[in-house]
Amino acid sequence: MRPGRRRLRAIGQYVVVVAGAVVLNFALPRLAPGSPVDYLVPPQAGTISAEERVELLERYGLDEPLPQQFLTYVGGLVQGDLGVSVRDGRPVADVITERIGWSLLLVGGAVAASAALGTALGFVAAWRRGRAGDVAALIAVLVVDALPAFFVGLLLLLVFSVRLDLFPLYGALPAVGVGGLQLVVEVGRRLVLPLATLTLTGLASIFVVARSALLSELDEDYVFMARAKGLDERAVRGHAQRNALIPISTATFLGFSTLVGAATVVETVFSYPGLGTLAFQSVLSRDYPMLQAVFLVLALVAIAANLVNDLIYPRLDPRVRAS
Amino acid sequence: MSLAAEVVEPRSGERARRLSGTARALGIAGVALLGVVVLAALGASVLAQHPPERIVAAPFLRPSGQHWLGTDDIGRDLFAQLVHGARVSLSVGLGAAVLALGAGTAVALVAGYRGGWWDMVLMRLVDLTLTLPLLVLVLVLTAFLGRGLAVSTVLIASVLWARPARLLRSQVLKVRRFGHVVAAEAMGASALRVSLTHVLARLVPLLSSQLVRAATVAVVVQAGIAFLGLGDPDRVSWGTMLFFANASNAVLTEAWKWWVLPPGLALAALVLGLALAGYAVEEWAEPRLARNAPHRSRRRRRPVEEPRPQAAGTALEIRSLRVRFGGTRPVEAVGGVDLTVRRGRILGLAGESGSGKSTLALAVMGLVPEAGRITEGEIMFGGRDLRRIGRANQARVRGRELALVPQSAMNALNPVRTVLAQVEEAARLTCPPAEARRRAGDLLERVGIDPRRHEAFPHHFSGGMRQRVLIAMALANEPRLIIADEPVTGLDVVNQVVVMELLESLVGELDLDLVVISHELPLLARWADDLAIMYAGRVVERGPVERLVREPRHPYTRLLFSSFPDLEGPRGQVGTVPGEPPDPARLPAGCAFEPRCPCALPRCATERPELDGAEGTCSAACWLAGDVSVRTLFVDPAGVADGDPG
Repeated sequence: MRPGRRRLRAIGQYVVVVAGAVVLNFALPRLAPGSPVDYLVPPQAGTISAEERVELLERYGLDEPLPQQFLTYVGGLVQGDLGVSVRDGRPVADVITERIGWSLLLVGGAVAASAALGTALGFVAAWRRGRAGDVAALIAVLVVDALPAFFVGLLLLLVFSVRLDLFPLYGALPAVGVGGLQLVVEVGRRLVLPLATLTLTGLASIFVVARSALLSELDEDYVFMARAKGLDERAVRGHAQRNALIPISTATFLGFSTLVGAATVVETVFSYPGLGTLAFQSVLSRDYPMLQAVFLVLALVAIAANLVNDLIYPRLDPRVRAS
Repeated sequence: MSLAAEVVEPRSGERARRLSGTARALGIAGVALLGVVVLAALGASVLAQHPPERIVAAPFLRPSGQHWLGTDDIGRDLFAQLVHGARVSLSVGLGAAVLALGAGTAVALVAGYRGGWWDMVLMRLVDLTLTLPLLVLVLVLTAFLGRGLAVSTVLIASVLWARPARLLRSQVLKVRRFGHVVAAEAMGASALRVSLTHVLARLVPLLSSQLVRAATVAVVVQAGIAFLGLGDPDRVSWGTMLFFANASNAVLTEAWKWWVLPPGLALAALVLGLALAGYAVEEWAEPRLARNAPHRSRRRRRPVEEPRPQAAGTALEIRSLRVRFGGTRPVEAVGGVDLTVRRGRILGLAGESGSGKSTLALAVMGLVPEAGRITEGEIMFGGRDLRRIGRANQARVRGRELALVPQSAMNALNPVRTVLAQVEEAARLTCPPAEARRRAGDLLERVGIDPRRHEAFPHHFSGGMRQRVLIAMALANEPRLIIADEPVTGLDVVNQVVVMELLESLVGELDLDLVVISHELPLLARWADDLAIMYAGRVVERGPVERLVREPRHPYTRLLFSSFPDLEGPRGQVGTVPGEPPDPARLPAGCAFEPRCPCALPRCATERPELDGAEGTCSAACWLAGDVSVRTLFVDPAGVADGDPG
């Protein structure tokens, strides 16, 4: 296939995925049991009268035919209109903008940290394949991976915040106004535990990919040749590891999606003011427009991570580079 | 195929579905953990004295004889919740996994068989499902569509089907190309029956490993959404317990010991049990994974006595070299080889695949794979025995004094580095960086690679071109001896000649010595000065090429020559000697060629013949080699295959 066509095809796939997320988001309240209006009423309002119901239907355009509703919905999205929170009446987009930075900081940090740590451990295990170190690393990683993210979070919170009092219990920002370097330190202190939790969550999948990628590279002829041409062990490793990075990079970017999900529970444990906590609060307060928007934004983040992977891949592997 | 793999595993096809020790131990541990959880689930009503969902006491009670784990924030019994929680997790895990696998298999079969639009649409749906963040997706679906246990199970399955669908689809496409499936389809079996009988049978390993994996994810996801407050309000699960514990700030009080730890550990036990069992199942499903544990060779002991000095006028002198591979089927790949490369002469080493010629080359290079080791012999090169100089010094000999042009040039170059960089890297072993770069460029040009293409990647080159790059690489440090292992195998005839001519001219120009290993005797007969024929790990005949071609004395050599087409002779089977090479793990006591030999004597089955002449002369390892009258018995190649030698 010509490079131009391949690019067109890739773009087409992204359009399909984004459209799928949008359609799903549009469809959910309309497929759900009851009337879509039920999902727009603040729970504290209690039951509403028939007139109020009609008024709401009109206000949100829910009395119009579905295609019209869809166009209105997409039109709103394009202009950055994600609806209004039923909890406090604020525009959803504003709340999301406030919070997304914290989520990106947390998830981005955890993706980077778990990729670095998982790769290092996986490589060490692969070089010692079948020996005690390899088996020990494998079992340790399986155990860590088996612990649910929120449980790990609660344990870390218990040990490091409650017992040892090393880190603050919750939040991302200090309560009293501090500035400059102090602020950075305080933000960092509050980031440590959620970041560690999320990093441990993402560690296993990278470890497994790194280990098996390097193992399969070690069987390749070019590694044998690197040794045969007289390179020292370090240089031989360099050859194999450089190639093993290709699948690891893909696993890292695709793992973004998993960690975005895991961040929901981790943020909740630490009351970290990102989109995950927002989703949790929206569930509790039945703030459905907010929940939908969080889902859409997180889906777009995951899709963007896929896109970055597609863009980076040819840089890592000259074989797929368009010539 | 990998260079090393061929040597380590002469019969890789025989590997059965057997688990490595590690996998078996992990699998047993996993099943044990699962067993505990299953027992708790089955015996929940007996174990718990209270109903899990009803208020039975005051809130926030500490553990007591009445309530083993105390009570929660509204006075429900935590121990009852813990054991009943096992039921929730197991039923959701198993239910969602079965549903997801069922849906995934159906999608895979439809996509794989229908192809076209069906495939397109279904695979885009798979893409979509796989891209969206799983937990958030289930969370939104649950928020809108309901949080009952049954609904939850279906919703989780509706997200989990995509991964197995994608994996199974590619498996379906692969299985469909297998001979018996193609045959069944051609014989008119209906598409559905073909799918069910042949394809599904082949999918079982993948299905089972994906089932365990899906169950693991389902358990984790269910716990996650329950922890976020979307668990079934009527069925308390471990996630729900932790939700209430978190909401009541249990970690801030003593209550974490009985409220946070037990459900968390229970979840961990279940997930770990599934993961460990899954590890074993995956290895069973894909035996290739089991190759992780190599046979560990004992520490090599260096020979104590000083070797006899290297004979004058020789580039390499191999003396009674033995290489043994351990493991479940011990194999002596090289069984006592004596071989000399004389200075200024090209030695050709011939033999069928599996005859030990590549292992011999690896032994000389100091690159015997981990599973094997040299058990005996001397490798005299540059006046010293390479076996005695230690691993570090051996590495210093490689590339600098002794270079290898490997088999399978297609994969011997690193795919992500330019060819110039790879030659330069070799040259840097003995040159300063700037000099190395210039030298690498010169060498590539010398072997006939256009300077404009020096910065290209290996996949831009044909096999012949890559072989030239490898030759340039071998020359990078002006070695004294080059071993070329099947340097032209896989190349077309024109390229074969070009590459061999290149090697020959380099030998003359740079005053190199050269060993060429090949299974094609005519090729060696044309280019080499001396020939050695290997069979089942031993040299069976050797001598100057003119003598050997004119008058081969070993029946095997004779058959090898006659099995290649002669331009004037009658047309026969090309390139093969009748019969199978012997199983290297069970070599006969006598001459290894005896079972295939057209003129074997009773003695040949019991006594092993040795090479009958001194180094540098013509010699053969055959009881008949000295007997001229017997030699004439099979001078006619046409009569060999079916003729009665007796």
